[in-house]
Amino acid sequence: MLECIDFEKSFEKPLFSGFNLQLKPGEIVAITGPSGSGKTTLLRCICGLEILDKGRIILNSEEITDVKPERRGIGLIFQKPVLYPHLSVEGNLKLGSKNKEIFDALEEVGLQGFNQRRVETLSGGEGQRVALARALLANPTVLLLDEPFSSIDDDLSDRLVSEVRELLKKRGCPAILVTHNKKIAENFADRVVSL
Amino acid sequence: MLEMFKKVANASAVTIFILLIIVPLWLALDRLIWVAGPDMTNWFSALNENYISKEVVGFTFLQATLSTILTVFIGLPIAWQLGRYEWPFQSFIKSILTMPFVMPSIVAAIGFLNLMEIYDLRSNENTWFTILILAHAWFNLSLVIRFCEPVLSTLDPRLEEQIKLLPNGQSFLDRIKHFWAPLLLPSVAAAACMTFVFSFTSFALVKLITLGENTIESMMASIGSSAGIEGYQVSRNEIILGGSIIQFTVLLISLWLMSYLQQKRQSLLPKASEKIAKKRSRYGWFVVGPAIIFAIAPLLAILVDSFRVQTREQDNVTESWSTEGWEYAFKETVSLSSGWDALINSLSYAFVTLAIALPLGWILAQTIKDLEVKSPKLARIIDVTTMLPFAVSSVMIGLGVTIGMIKINPEFFYQLWFTPVIAHVMITTPFVVRIILPALRSIEPAYDECAMTLGVTPFKRLISIKIPMLRGSIIIAAIFTLAMSMGEFGASWVVTRNSDWTTLPIMIDTIREAYKPITNTASNAIASVLMLIALVLFTWAEKFRPKRDGGMF
Repeated sequence: MLECIDFEKSFEKPLFSGFNLQLKPGEIVAITGPSGSGKTTLLRCICGLEILDKGRIILNSEEITDVKPERRGIGLIFQKPVLYPHLSVEGNLKLGSKNKEIFDALEEVGLQGFNQRRVETLSGGEGQRVALARALLANPTVLLLDEPFSSIDDDLSDRLVSEVRELLKKRGCPAILVTHNKKIAENFADRVVSL
Repeated sequence: MLEMFKKVANASAVTIFILLIIVPLWLALDRLIWVAGPDMTNWFSALNENYISKEVVGFTFLQATLSTILTVFIGLPIAWQLGRYEWPFQSFIKSILTMPFVMPSIVAAIGFLNLMEIYDLRSNENTWFTILILAHAWFNLSLVIRFCEPVLSTLDPRLEEQIKLLPNGQSFLDRIKHFWAPLLLPSVAAAACMTFVFSFTSFALVKLITLGENTIESMMASIGSSAGIEGYQVSRNEIILGGSIIQFTVLLISLWLMSYLQQKRQSLLPKASEKIAKKRSRYGWFVVGPAIIFAIAPLLAILVDSFRVQTREQDNVTESWSTEGWEYAFKETVSLSSGWDALINSLSYAFVTLAIALPLGWILAQTIKDLEVKSPKLARIIDVTTMLPFAVSSVMIGLGVTIGMIKINPEFFYQLWFTPVIAHVMITTPFVVRIILPALRSIEPAYDECAMTLGVTPFKRLISIKIPMLRGSIIIAAIFTLAMSMGEFGASWVVTRNSDWTTLPIMIDTIREAYKPITNTASNAIASVLMLIALVLFTWAEKFRPKRDGGMF
């Protein structure tokens, strides 16, 4: 369903070249690699926030290489949760959906009753759950996760890894996780690819 | 579609700004050179030889340097106390101490004159210089506080604890040398730079406090009305050209230095942490207490003196308390407009200025921000161009508008109510850019990127993310524009002196020059109105200022 064909990208130094990936419906793939290998850039290229030097992206048989990020239908969860400080949890979630599914989404990530909370009062784990709920509310065709478990402690990280995997599998949402942590990659994904 | 609209708006803003700022100044320069001749040596020799300007340059440098030294000397201990220790009603104290800077300069001048008259110092020829320096220090004190206090108040305490455990930080002097001085020096120097600029171009304080002595700025204002006329008072045109070049060069160097120091200073700020438990200062009230009195005394003197009426009969001076001054100020007389007219004019000019300067400054700031990624060199050029008016004093702007516009059509511009707005827009737009640009830069790109990946459209991103995140800066910029326009004196004095469009600051000056006992009280009444408007506006603005701002605005 998602095909990355012959990706090439460099900034001051070459990051990746000739990278290919095929993601099947409902599949979760983890991409591992050391710091500076271009994992984050790869995700940013897939969702359109960076322009590829070379390569093509096919999503559900349609080429989306030149489609604007907001029209691709690909979600991204950043390493540190990006929550808008001027909006409440509910306001943040409303950016992901026009419908009134907010309460269900919060329940899905285990944050019932958090809708009126200010985002600065959330812990790292809670913030990441809100970001996940918001990303899922947008019903992405593919969800990209940029080391979302790296900024939280080990116990919480282990719990979130299995909870998020379960949630994605339940929804049948394909996902790509990038991480430098091989243990997280193996626990989270169906398949692990090295960059 | 939105992208196209954005590009057109950006290009239009840059064009309007260049036309509005560069064209009047260019036309004025062209006219002055046409009258004075192109030989630059004549301009400087006229400045040196003419009795009008003979000692002006030296006096300008001297008073600005001494004002800067005194301001840092008074301001640094206050910033230290406020930044290092916990104070009851801290934000209230900070608001009081930073209030002088937001007061219109003519209010500052009136306040000091009142205060000194109480102690009978005004009439003493030996004291006016000290009063001027002190008034400059009062006016610029908040710059030192605003620049230094955030560095001190948000400093990670572990940095100081660590230096105490190292060989080079064991004595207090060692810590000053190796820790405090390198940390604070860029902030102190940046504040000193700005203080020098404001003292160098001071107009209202010099005009009202000195006994006829001039700085370059006040001299240009006083002789400006006879400039630009072919064959008439040619040396005055030469003096203005010489003075402008000196002033422009000094301001340009100061601003360049200031920009360099600001960058150094910003690199020191992120080391700070936000939540620090502080102690109370045992002896701090000995510094902060007198500082509070120093800050509010001139302003209180204005309010009190607006009700104090002096009557002179031969050598007898009697005093009475009444609202006579207020009644006189707001009543139309044969020779004076009513205070209501001045208030309505000031408010109208301020709101028209706001309607032009705010969107213009905002779009310019957005243009610079957008170009910083796509074309950094062009962004830098526009950035520097928007700062150019800072290097042109308000009197130079006033002269630019009058002399420049006269060249286009004298009849039209002398009769146009709108003319002072041109000067006010020239003065306030760069401030709007300077307030909004850092706010735009501080919005992490991830906020926009995240919204993109959620499928949020560009228009919705503007309405529900960008504008709310910029709300504080937009409100501060708007308040600043209103307050600056209402309190603007130098350019308005030059532009409106041949017209009937009296503003509040102009009216204060006009009434005061009438030299009747009641006019003194009436000028205090008008100054009180201006002071209260500035106070309300800036108290409101404080609510929207980020806690770790640390900037001058």
